[in-house]
Amino acid sequence: MSDALVRKGGILLGSVFVAVWSLAPILWLAIGSITPEIKPETGKPWMSSRHVEYFPEQPTLQNYRDLFETVKFGTYFLNSTIVATGTMLLALVVASLGAYGFVRFRFVGRKPLLIATLMAYMIPSVVLMVPLLVILRSYGLMNTRIGLIIAEATNTAPFVLLLMTNYFASLPQELEEAAQVDGCSRLGALLRIVLPLSIPGLVAGGLFAFIATWNNFLFAFLLSTSDATKTLPVIMRLFALGEPAVWGVSAAGALLTTLPVALLFFVFQRMLISGLAAGAVKG
Amino acid sequence: MSDPVAPITRRLGRRRVDPTPYFFVAPICILLLAISVYPMFYAVWLAMTDAKLMRLSRAAFIGLDNFLRMSGDPIFIGGIWKTLRWDLVVVLTELAVALPMALFLDLRFRGRGILRAIVVTPYIVPPAVVSLMWIYMFDGNFGVVNDLLVRSGAVDAPISWLSDPNGAFAIVAAAMVWAGTPLMVIILLAVIQTVPKELFEAARVDGAGAWMRFRYVTLPAIIPTIMFLLLMRTIWMSNHIDMIFVMTRGGPGFANYTEALYAFMVVQQFDIGYASAIAVALAVVLLCGSAFYVRHLAASVLSR
Repeated sequence: MSDALVRKGGILLGSVFVAVWSLAPILWLAIGSITPEIKPETGKPWMSSRHVEYFPEQPTLQNYRDLFETVKFGTYFLNSTIVATGTMLLALVVASLGAYGFVRFRFVGRKPLLIATLMAYMIPSVVLMVPLLVILRSYGLMNTRIGLIIAEATNTAPFVLLLMTNYFASLPQELEEAAQVDGCSRLGALLRIVLPLSIPGLVAGGLFAFIATWNNFLFAFLLSTSDATKTLPVIMRLFALGEPAVWGVSAAGALLTTLPVALLFFVFQRMLISGLAAGAVKG
Repeated sequence: MSDPVAPITRRLGRRRVDPTPYFFVAPICILLLAISVYPMFYAVWLAMTDAKLMRLSRAAFIGLDNFLRMSGDPIFIGGIWKTLRWDLVVVLTELAVALPMALFLDLRFRGRGILRAIVVTPYIVPPAVVSLMWIYMFDGNFGVVNDLLVRSGAVDAPISWLSDPNGAFAIVAAAMVWAGTPLMVIILLAVIQTVPKELFEAARVDGAGAWMRFRYVTLPAIIPTIMFLLLMRTIWMSNHIDMIFVMTRGGPGFANYTEALYAFMVVQQFDIGYASAIAVALAVVLLCGSAFYVRHLAASVLSR
């Protein structure tokens, strides 16, 4: 057997392994979400008596309908969207201003402040969860979306700062200097010259903040316990506990929870991969 | 470096201090002061009190009593081993899966681009969804894994994975490895690609086989990254709560009570003084590693 043939076989084998490893669980979720679960004896779906169907004979969208009608999935989806968008905007604004300050100025306290913001990024959520819970309670921000938005910024703002610092540093300074000679203020230079040039960096930073917040379970679980403000990860835990007791509905919900971040990721993949390699979001 | 067109300058001692940069960095510094730095000190203070969430105003300072309590708490002591086991198994397995994948995706072949996109998929699935997915795949009654095992004749009866202490650990760790591997693959792949191809050619001309080329060309180039990844993931995994909690609540019993999870479970019993003490103890142990990580990050920024 020739070397080329061995190589071809190896590559095929490797490709199949990578694809199955990465996609099989998600594929199984998709199959589960279109499998009808009405038991003929009772006329009702019931999880503990279900059997495994690899290729559903009568695929259905009923699970998706039930998801919105009986589980109020739309409310939680909206909550997650609001919180993730809010944190994204907050992180982008403070991090862009801060990054510009750190990159374009040399000032007393620059180094200690920069190291302090990075240290702040390293304070684990385990330590922060209790104080944030107490603080949010005392300011009446428990079970509010704005409270969760602010709390989530602790995970995202420092990382976006790091990304934007690297991005701004890669831009030539001459353009801003020209703008300032023409009478533009420093803030004006940031808004009119630097930010428009930094769209790819802003998109990457914003998406990271959005995805990290969308996915975060811990703070959502502790800080938002009322039904009106719950976000999707908390609902996923209820599903994992077997509520509602219909796997098809849970699978549909899980798939729709994954869909927005998956779409965002694949559309902006190239911008995000480099950021991932640069430091990644706090786990 | 002072800015010639800044509108406001003031005199401080004999040096002119330009306030402009402080306006730019103030928002993020104030925000982080409020939601990271102040809470951190607050956590340290709480750790030295007997605070309960429902009667916070009556919290009393008790010094290091919480830490003494920990030293006699079998759940905490047992948690040390459970945390180490969780860290070691997850991080090393991730590396064992990710390194071959990264080396494979560095090869030239048709469809490589698509595979590189596919390999990232698990990373973007929300951890709570990963938990849900794996619980259902390994369900004792109708899980697809049991179904496959029974059909293929590997086992006679379905196994109830999650009610067995070791089984539960294995499933949560496997789910975590699945979700965490893509990050390692991407970072390793990025570094492997920076190894000059001439080195491989030179090694090939010298008659080095694939293993020799990996051992003497690729490996030395990626060792620093591997060490960095191991450190980073170990810190993160030590602090990880989400998937252990969603999949097992630390159970069965206390089988999967890592220190981070223990702190989280204690919070839910409103014993926030003791929970803070556990969290602070964990953070202090991890601090040395974190400091190293921050120096690495800061160096990349300050060198600009």
